[in-house]
Amino acid sequence: MRNRGLALALALSVSVSACVQTQQYADVQFTPPQGDYKLLVLRPDVTVGSITTGGMVEPRADWTDQARASIVQALRNQQASHGGRVTIVERRDQLPGVTPEELAEVERLNAAVAESIVVHKYLGDYLPTKRGKGLDWTIGQQAVRLGQKTGYDYALFLHAEDQVASRGRIALGVLGLAGCVVGFCAPNIGGAQQIDYASLVDLKTGEVVWFNVVIAGSQVPGISFGNLRTPEGAAQMVDRLLGRMKPGQAIQQSHAQSQPQQQRGDR
Amino acid sequence: MCMRCVEITRRSLLVGGTAAAASLHAGIAEARVRPQDMAPLVGPGYRPTEKDEIGIWQLMERAEEEIAGSNLLIQDPKLTGYLKNLIGTVGGPAAKDFRIYLARVPDFNAMMFPSGFAVVFSGLLLRMRNEAQLAGVIAHEAGHFLRRHQIRAWRDTRRKTDLFAIGSMLAGIGGAGAGVYLGNYVQLAQLGTLLSLFKYSRDMEAEADAMGIKQLAETGYAPIEMANIWQQLIGEEYASARYRGKSRRHGSIFDSHPSTDARMRDLRLDAAEVTVPGRAYDNGRARYLSTIAEIRPTLLDDQVKLNDPGASEYLIQTLAQDGWNGLLRFYEGEVWRLRNRPGDDVRAAQSYAAAVVYPDAPADAWRWHGISLMKQGRQAEAKAAFGRYLKIKPDAPDAAWVRQMAG
Repeated sequence: MRNRGLALALALSVSVSACVQTQQYADVQFTPPQGDYKLLVLRPDVTVGSITTGGMVEPRADWTDQARASIVQALRNQQASHGGRVTIVERRDQLPGVTPEELAEVERLNAAVAESIVVHKYLGDYLPTKRGKGLDWTIGQQAVRLGQKTGYDYALFLHAEDQVASRGRIALGVLGLAGCVVGFCAPNIGGAQQIDYASLVDLKTGEVVWFNVVIAGSQVPGISFGNLRTPEGAAQMVDRLLGRMKPGQAIQQSHAQSQPQQQRGDR
Repeated sequence: MCMRCVEITRRSLLVGGTAAAASLHAGIAEARVRPQDMAPLVGPGYRPTEKDEIGIWQLMERAEEEIAGSNLLIQDPKLTGYLKNLIGTVGGPAAKDFRIYLARVPDFNAMMFPSGFAVVFSGLLLRMRNEAQLAGVIAHEAGHFLRRHQIRAWRDTRRKTDLFAIGSMLAGIGGAGAGVYLGNYVQLAQLGTLLSLFKYSRDMEAEADAMGIKQLAETGYAPIEMANIWQQLIGEEYASARYRGKSRRHGSIFDSHPSTDARMRDLRLDAAEVTVPGRAYDNGRARYLSTIAEIRPTLLDDQVKLNDPGASEYLIQTLAQDGWNGLLRFYEGEVWRLRNRPGDDVRAAQSYAAAVVYPDAPADAWRWHGISLMKQGRQAEAKAAFGRYLKIKPDAPDAAWVRQMAG
């Protein structure tokens, strides 16, 4: 339930009428995982709903199941291309050697930390103590213990929420557009919206090393940003969310110092 | 233009103010739902078949997983088994399908989720005076599920917001075409929609009360106990408000639940209707008190630490109507001691002194009795009281300190 509130807060921070926004933060020392690493994906949290004519979100179980399956597949494909070995846990009792309670604790801890990251990094409530430190949050010893018990290098938490404009909602938008003829223009009643976020936790240190949010939304119903239920839409979402992991500030700087010429050339 | 969030602007409130004032009397005095009109709408093993309800149930699966694993839950099998039995008794056709969780929250509340699991707050166990009252609250919650309230309310909201969205769009376009401004009417309609949603919610609560009291009486519990719950709550609200120098809040047309007073009134009439002359009804007080005996000190402790002495004192007095004991007297003393106004130390001392007379006085009653005596300069008696404390609780964390005090 907490995730739902977080997604809502993020959605309210969108001021544009139609676009895809993404904003990632990383630990200053972060290097995107490459080569032979073991990644644990904990219960991808996926919900797909339909926006009613009046603007409520009606959860759809069949769409949610389709989208979850597509995202899981897209995630496997995407990670395979990076050389990592991925395990996707869909239920809390699926991880050998870890009790469902232990996994639940880590999940809840991450939810609380993610909420804090969103508040202090995305919603404008910036903390002076964390200025210039990149992403400075940790899940702590519990995550380290999870890593020791299971042998994974990283844990990835993923949340995806897709709201699809129903036919009635689109019709209402069309009606609003038709009203422009008589001078009452209201096509921008609010349409499809997708909110995805992910956090990567280093299970050796317990630190949240990377966090990304993708918000795609349109005020005009009828404009779609990729259908999560299809393999293509899910692949696009996974690529937007995880495809362009940037290294942390310190790594970027040392990289820039070692190749000053090239940096200048880029500008 | 944001149509997805229902905004209440100042103007819509002004425009609606008149309408609200006019409907205030009519709006609050809602028609009573008669228990005999309430038949369960679900059978055993109910599963949703339509897509909106299936979607909601899927969301609820995850919610239940979180709640079932929450560390706020009280897991004592004696208590959870007891609650499961109760909902199995008053739960009608869905009796075997319900799940019930007990959360340690010192508040008067219980709730039913759309997929048939209920959460009961520990504050409810503190306030109920007998099994019939607790069963009444559980029967009310079960009534929500039996009458399919969550999905009906969801569909009602969807229908009304759809109508409002289409209506305001048409009003805008029609008004622009005809050259008149209908914005005020749209805002009035918005207020009307809102009020109608609240009204629907209150109607559902009234239904749940009627459904609940019917189940309660049919299973042999005294139905009048369900009205008594509200009488107790009204008293508690008055006591709490009086202490804080505020006046008690009454119901309004923006409430999701009918006012406590209306519920009590209706339930009294319901109780008279569902009572079968000559049948024996039970309130199960002895069984209830023995089941919650072990957790009662915790419940009282959580309550007195809420810093609401008005309500705490009222609650203890209400529970004591079934007879004072050492535990209640001790916590009566705790209310005064924690309030700490002039003269409260004397009141607290009297309560502790009264508590230790009962054989069930908790160890802490002896401890505080000793401290009170010491303050009064009655060293010898204080020493005896501390002795009793250490005898009951030899490995108390403050044992060394108390030994030193006792000299």
